[in-house]
Amino acid sequence: MKIEFKDVTFQYYSEEKPVFEHLSFTIEQGTTTAILGHNGSGKSTIAKLIVGLLVPNAGQILIDDVELTEQTIDEIRKRMGIIFQNPDNQFVGVTVRDDIAFGLENHQVPREEMIQQIEKYATLVDMKDYLDKSPEKLSGGQKQRVAIAGALAMETELIIFDESTSMLDPKGTKEINQMMRSLKENFQKSIITITHQLEEAIFADRVMVLNEGKIVLDGTPQVVLKEKDILEASGLKLIDGLDVLNRLEKDDFDHKSSIMEALWELIFKM
Amino acid sequence: MNDSIVFGQYIYRNSFMHKLDARVKLISLVLMMIGVFLIPKDHFILLGIAFLIPILAILFSKISLFKYLKSLKQIAFVMLFSFVFQLIGNHNGELLLKLPIQFTVVNIAIVVLALIIYFIVRKYLPFKFLIFVLLLIGATYLFRYPIYGHIIHSFDFLIYQEGVIHGLFLIGRVFVIILASTSLTLTTKPTDLTNALEWLLQPLEWIKIKTSIFAMMISIALRSIPTLFNETNRILKAQASRGADFNESSLKEQIGQMVSLLVPMFVISIKKAEDLADAMEARGYIPGEKRTRLVKMTFKVSDYMVLGAILLLFVLLILGKCGVYAL
Ligand SMILES: Nc1ncnc2c1ncn2[C@@H]1O[C@H](COP(=O)(O)OP(=O)(O)O)[C@@H](O)[C@H]1O
Ligand SMILES: [Mg+2]
Repeated sequence: MKIEFKDVTFQYYSEEKPVFEHLSFTIEQGTTTAILGHNGSGKSTIAKLIVGLLVPNAGQILIDDVELTEQTIDEIRKRMGIIFQNPDNQFVGVTVRDDIAFGLENHQVPREEMIQQIEKYATLVDMKDYLDKSPEKLSGGQKQRVAIAGALAMETELIIFDESTSMLDPKGTKEINQMMRSLKENFQKSIITITHQLEEAIFADRVMVLNEGKIVLDGTPQVVLKEKDILEASGLKLIDGLDVLNRLEKDDFDHKSSIMEALWELIFKM
Repeated sequence: MNDSIVFGQYIYRNSFMHKLDARVKLISLVLMMIGVFLIPKDHFILLGIAFLIPILAILFSKISLFKYLKSLKQIAFVMLFSFVFQLIGNHNGELLLKLPIQFTVVNIAIVVLALIIYFIVRKYLPFKFLIFVLLLIGATYLFRYPIYGHIIHSFDFLIYQEGVIHGLFLIGRVFVIILASTSLTLTTKPTDLTNALEWLLQPLEWIKIKTSIFAMMISIALRSIPTLFNETNRILKAQASRGADFNESSLKEQIGQMVSLLVPMFVISIKKAEDLADAMEARGYIPGEKRTRLVKMTFKVSDYMVLGAILLLFVLLILGKCGVYAL
């Protein structure tokens, strides 16, 4: 799914300043894009604009060259899924089964097909044994996995993760990060992952860094990670190894290129 | 499915009543309520037949009678009150009993003392309600016989036949309905009940009332109760760890603590509602739009049989009311 922002300006009614003005970018179909930025930089606003929960004050948003409008949103929305930050506040069903079914019910998927989809994707996110459990009995990570199953079951072309790990414990965070990576490897979907942590962005094909309503960095993780100053100025916390790497980059030593390559590799694999 | 829902009155068992379709139970309850109020005044035979229905429901629910009685207990006082009201107010029929009652200072003192003692020690008493009733009867008994002293006031407490009969009939009606509705809530999951309600209200969709929205609201509310409950506990614990004590503080402090509980709860609820609305909309929910349903409700043979039996009784009652035959 191709997403195009053209000169988009957005402001919340209650705020004095717009979150961003004349923001333009294009996300190509089938790619994994990370949107990085500190808290309050406008990442969630972008996500909500893409799925049509918010409407721009000016400018256009095009999805596969069709403009998002009140008329087109219902159809376009069927092709995207989003997983939000708070695992409790997006669990609609009374049980895991109900929750995965919710989106399918809305899309008027026939019951028989629904049952198959639920089985399939509950298995995929490893929640098949929990189908009849209610949300209070699940950990945060498990709830997010249910949300992922719900999005996958709708077989959308795009999945957006809006800080889906930020309220989880380390174990849950790891689970969800692994799941995002395996989605990238095994599905032909467009993925947008929104985060304020560098290490969650480096598996993407492309990283966009947002600061003060502007895209300040845009490129492959390798390119973006080298811009230590801009990253810090954008309020992001650097990865542990990154400091060392950037310092080594300035030095001269034997086998520099092969050592540096190996080290970069290591960071990306983390 | 056994441990999926823990809130509400629902108690999991593997029984006939639990397996009965929620719609059948709901329709039966509605018919029971109408039926019981259509029963001609003081017709105890018909009331007895109506009474058999919740009795059967209880027997086939594998839930102990005690749980049912608990729900009766909550309304026992109201029942007693309406009975006494009937006794005092209804002066029709034969005079059954004439109780000359005379108040003397000593009698009143003893009764008041007994009541005071009761209210002090009731915390430690089992069968409080029974003891309370016995105490009241004892008090009237005491008033009848002036023990000693100057008679302040005397009158005759008259009990008439119709007062007793009508009072009992009134209690009987409430009894049947309370037992029947308790059978429903004890054996039906809240979600099944919502689905049944939505199904039952379907005809309203023809006159353009979006009952599906209403049902969605109920199920979202049901779904949110446990999480909000957990939130409340969390905040209470946080307050307790900051030294607040709900049990041992002045009224003013308690009000302050309530406010400092309510404000965050309000903020959390609003944030939650906003997030949930976003999540639902993003997942393609359009209020009132057609949706397919995962839950499939199918009537089994046993459902048809129970529904048939209830309908038959109801129709027989209506025909009798219409004068087709004498009830
Ligand atoms: N519902 C809202 N009403 C008013 N202001 C909001 C609302 N949501 C977010 N904001 C403001 O918009 C800015 C961007 O928020 P957001 O997109 O949520 O950032 P991020 O997701 O990057 O943390 C912040 O300054 C935030 O305070
Ligand atoms: Mg955000």
